[in-house]
Amino acid sequence: MTLFAFYVVVITLGILSMGFQLLASRLLNPHFGSSIIVWAWLISTFLAAFSLGSIVGGWISNLAPEPRRRGQLAGVVLAVAALALVALFGRDLLGRIEVAFDDVSTALLVSCVGIFFLPVTALSTFGPQCVQFLASRGTPPGKASGVVYGVSTLGNIVGVMLTAFALIPHFRVSTLLYLWLGVAVVSLAALLRLLRVSSAT
Amino acid sequence: MRWARVTQGAALGVALVVGGLRPAGAAETNFVEQFDTIYNSLTVERRGDLVELRARARGSEALESAVDLSDPLRLVIPYTRSLYGALFFQPQPKRVMMIGLGGAGFHRLFSAAYPDALLQTVELDPKVLELCETRMQFKPTANTPVAVQDGRMFVKRDRREWDWLILDAFRGGFVPPHLKTEEFYRECAARLSERGVFVSNLHATTELFYSDVKTIQAVFPQVVLFNTDGRGNVIAFAVKYRTPVITDPAKWPGAAALMVPAFQGRLDLAAVRKERIEIPVAQMGRAKVLSDDFAPVEFLDTLKSNNADGKK
Repeated sequence: MTLFAFYVVVITLGILSMGFQLLASRLLNPHFGSSIIVWAWLISTFLAAFSLGSIVGGWISNLAPEPRRRGQLAGVVLAVAALALVALFGRDLLGRIEVAFDDVSTALLVSCVGIFFLPVTALSTFGPQCVQFLASRGTPPGKASGVVYGVSTLGNIVGVMLTAFALIPHFRVSTLLYLWLGVAVVSLAALLRLLRVSSAT
Repeated sequence: MRWARVTQGAALGVALVVGGLRPAGAAETNFVEQFDTIYNSLTVERRGDLVELRARARGSEALESAVDLSDPLRLVIPYTRSLYGALFFQPQPKRVMMIGLGGAGFHRLFSAAYPDALLQTVELDPKVLELCETRMQFKPTANTPVAVQDGRMFVKRDRREWDWLILDAFRGGFVPPHLKTEEFYRECAARLSERGVFVSNLHATTELFYSDVKTIQAVFPQVVLFNTDGRGNVIAFAVKYRTPVITDPAKWPGAAALMVPAFQGRLDLAAVRKERIEIPVAQMGRAKVLSDDFAPVEFLDTLKSNNADGKK
């Protein structure tokens, strides 16, 4: 049952991170268009967030139990707070950034890094910790890594398809941002609990 | 990454197919070229004096623009004639902005008819401008400048006012969602002169059409539709004022009064006038206004409409 819940959370986090990229594109389009420049900045930002999040997550997973718990809690708080910021103030912030910078690339850099980088980085810190979770239950590290990133990537695919074909056609982007926030709160709380149980045993 | 390739065997194929239809020697100038640009997959085909620009999408090719090099002022694509319906609402266009260049099928006649008017074009794809210049013999001038930029970005940042603001932007048959929203139309309305007219080329074959019209109506108090005969294009004309009334054709200027020498034999404004259709109020019942927050444009554009009159 614990493992089932674990995989559900891993898939959910995969859905959240890549689905968020499509929502981010919809937020950016009215301000900066839908040119290849927008997509280049957006994709690069997400990849940079995945990269930094994985490194930081790996570092957290090797900390002693108490600092590790604090690191995990900080990751959850940061992810939820950053997603809330996007849901509440994302459009206003983009409007201000658009006016503040004449150069589109500069404006996109500020927008992507300032608004989307933090939540995706925070979500990505949990990848290595999920690997650690499986490894602590006896799964060989290589296999644990493969399974977690494989399942997470399946979640990414589901996130993209679900968002593109089911959610965006029927719901407002602002509504979906609150949905993302709610799902993140629930799934991260569940993951936090799983990780704590794991480190206690 | 931008690159172009001549379709393997295409030039030969066209020479074989078209060569038989043209006088000897003409086939040498015929060509088919395909270009994968950063935004489009385009085909440019020359058959004799006719050069077509087509966008490949959904397993077929959509005819975007065409020019007759023996008479560049001729409006080859029917909907470009309908765009001149704007004359009924603003008969003296001195400053016109057009989002979407295509092959500049509209531009040449406009420049000939109104040589002192400014026709500012905004085109996202630099390759489209290049092809328009090199294959379709359009040369931008001081009065017909072309800015390579996203249309919405241009409208937001360029604060000049326009007598006609024409939205004719497609990407391989699709329209970018951010050019379909209530917020964008408000930005356009803010750039219109006092008696300016907003013009939008709509496709009437999908459910998107009803949302389009409803969204335009949400911003502009008066909207008139022209249906380009049998082509699935409906041109929407909208103004930001309530009076004088533009929805009553009896109050429009006569076609004869709008004629200029360049139109002679090329543009029948009396026929354009007859293209007016009623707003499809009944079908628009369930359609939703599109906004920056809710614009499932791609989704609606795949749902075939029940508007039999609008079908191709």
